[in-house]
Amino acid sequence: MEVKTEQFSEIAREELRKAYTFLKAGANFVRMRREAALSTFPDAAAAQAYGAIIRAEAISRLPELLEEFEKNALSNGAKVFWARDATEASQYIVGLAKERGIKYVTKGKSMVTEEIGLNEVLEKNGVKTWETDLGEFIIQLLGVTPFHIVGPAINIPVEKVRDLFMEKIDLKEPTLDPVQLGHAARIFLRDKFHRVEMGIVGVNVAVAETGTILNVENEGNIRFSKSSPRTQISVMSLEKVVPTLEDALHLVRLLCRNCTAQKLSAYVSMDNGPKKSDEIDGPEELIVVIVDNGRSRIYQDEIARGAMRCIRCGACLSGCPVYRQIGGYAYGWVYSGPMGQVLNPLLLGLERTQDLYRATTLCGSCKSICPAGIDHPGLFLHYRAKDVSGDAILQTRKPPMMERIFFRLWTWAVTRHRMWNWGVRFVRPFVNKQPHEGMLREVGGLFKGWFRSRDLPSMAKKTFHDRWIEMQKENSEGRNQNERE
Amino acid sequence: MDTVSIFIPCMVDLFLPHIGEATVSLLRRAGARPIYHIEQTCCGQPAINAGYREQAKKAAKHFIQVFGDDEEVVSPSGSCVCMVKYHYPELLAEEPEWRSRAEELSLRIYELSQYLVDIVRIEDVGASFEGKVAYHESCHILRGLGVSEQPKKLIRAVKGTQLVPLNAADTCCGFGGEFANRYPDISESMVRDKVGDYISSGADVLLLCEPGCLLNIGGFLSRSHPGKKVMHLASFLAQHQETTNHRL
Repeated sequence: MEVKTEQFSEIAREELRKAYTFLKAGANFVRMRREAALSTFPDAAAAQAYGAIIRAEAISRLPELLEEFEKNALSNGAKVFWARDATEASQYIVGLAKERGIKYVTKGKSMVTEEIGLNEVLEKNGVKTWETDLGEFIIQLLGVTPFHIVGPAINIPVEKVRDLFMEKIDLKEPTLDPVQLGHAARIFLRDKFHRVEMGIVGVNVAVAETGTILNVENEGNIRFSKSSPRTQISVMSLEKVVPTLEDALHLVRLLCRNCTAQKLSAYVSMDNGPKKSDEIDGPEELIVVIVDNGRSRIYQDEIARGAMRCIRCGACLSGCPVYRQIGGYAYGWVYSGPMGQVLNPLLLGLERTQDLYRATTLCGSCKSICPAGIDHPGLFLHYRAKDVSGDAILQTRKPPMMERIFFRLWTWAVTRHRMWNWGVRFVRPFVNKQPHEGMLREVGGLFKGWFRSRDLPSMAKKTFHDRWIEMQKENSEGRNQNERE
Repeated sequence: MDTVSIFIPCMVDLFLPHIGEATVSLLRRAGARPIYHIEQTCCGQPAINAGYREQAKKAAKHFIQVFGDDEEVVSPSGSCVCMVKYHYPELLAEEPEWRSRAEELSLRIYELSQYLVDIVRIEDVGASFEGKVAYHESCHILRGLGVSEQPKKLIRAVKGTQLVPLNAADTCCGFGGEFANRYPDISESMVRDKVGDYISSGADVLLLCEPGCLLNIGGFLSRSHPGKKVMHLASFLAQHQETTNHRL
């Protein structure tokens, strides 16, 4: 997917102009439903905390867990391929398709396959790809990027879907009825599932102790892509592994509640390798492609690696007051919302993702929501600090000189209260050039962003500091007076 | 009388000193003897938010020197208290002596409403106001410090005042320090929503405990809805005292 992270502000501005009415209302609805779903736990806070612990352990033991997973997956009869980067992963999958004479593949929703740009590479090599998750199917036909990591087409008006389906998938009668539109997609995609020889899906959780891979879904498209074709390719980014099956199932309970407010999704499928000789269902070969794409580099930073805990539930998106204003496009790449803000900078480097870790008020909603215990605000501050100090692991630049000089001066003054207060007195007349009834409408062209729509109180003629000193003087004079009398 | 050391955030010191005065007045009313160390400057939040950790460390050490011997430190700001409580120990993690001083201090620093209700155990500070008020739950106060009931208890104890519900009370107002200036489109949209919710609440005054939110919401109201009021809880309580106390 094209990287547009450097256009954050422009895209955000465009999106704000659209004033999506559905976004805030929809997000509020999703949050309410999520709360209700979590309350079905005997102790929701404990369940969430337990999820955080599972993911913390998984990340801290990642290398050994991955090896354990591979060992067990292999003994289940699966194949495991380690892909260092996007190119290696995509080329390997293209190779598998070509070897088997594959004309088209059906795809289950997989963010990591978007991360590695798999569809483009397959198409370029003559293999047609069909996204089968309804939201992904719609955006594939439209040729747009996802608006939300779980609901990629939530911003597409139903009228547009109708027109799209009439044009591209042979919808005969115009309708706005979502059931009928869904039915049209179903008929179209059934035809693809019917003859599919290779299905490519993602992985929600991979289990080290059993070599199992697990998928949750509501549409059945993933199971179709797993059980019908001869070859199943499961693509996973390397952070998806957890130690035990119990861990995996707890994460599934959390994932479904946090993601779609369900106690469990409509379908849950677990693969322990390909079909055994005495089994009817299942692919003849199951290939797990484990994608690194910069993650082992990131892993070296013990704080940054916390971002890898993410289970892709998407709850942080509807919980984020910024996301609710701007929607998913402004984040400029595969992952959006707070989880995109912690992940994209690591995968793309801090230098070209400046806005992603700064366009936040550090309100902490994401952190309070996250079932994996990610400290998003802490990570944003960490990235900013690395950006200032320069860092090879996270690929940063050095900050502008004026900023560095400012903070040098600031530090010098902050540790010397007389200089600090003198500085305040010095600056005041410049700041208070044109007060209007005690409020400032501008400060010599500085802070234009603030003053566009907001006033600021003028700097007080006497700071609290000044007033306190005055008061102390008055009181001691008063006491002296009393003593004399 | 117990002395309590007050930490007045730089935003209050420079732009909103009346909140500092209100803080002193309330603490006196509550039976404490507030003292103010003139050596205090800034907690260092601007530096840490901009990624200047080395500079923030210097500010932190200065702060700890100034406040380190105080039994209790109280501030009319949630974000500054969070900075000292949670960021100082982490910032100074590599210097064990400083870190333990920071950890020690973190146990003794409070946001004002938290201090009044939980430590002094006072809810009625003698204020009265006939009218409706709404309360905005600032991010660092609510999610950072877990303080939510305390300001509401203080409000409910004000004679004649009705605390009305505020839609999306716990949604961020869009200040975020530098965020408001650097991402004005998004920030404006957020504060506009907050103001819309305030107006629909039917409240006569919007109350909050965070100076940053006050500057943001107040600044927007001043430009677009000059008649509508927003106040820091401390100012509100100090201003609406039943008996006229002489001002500082």
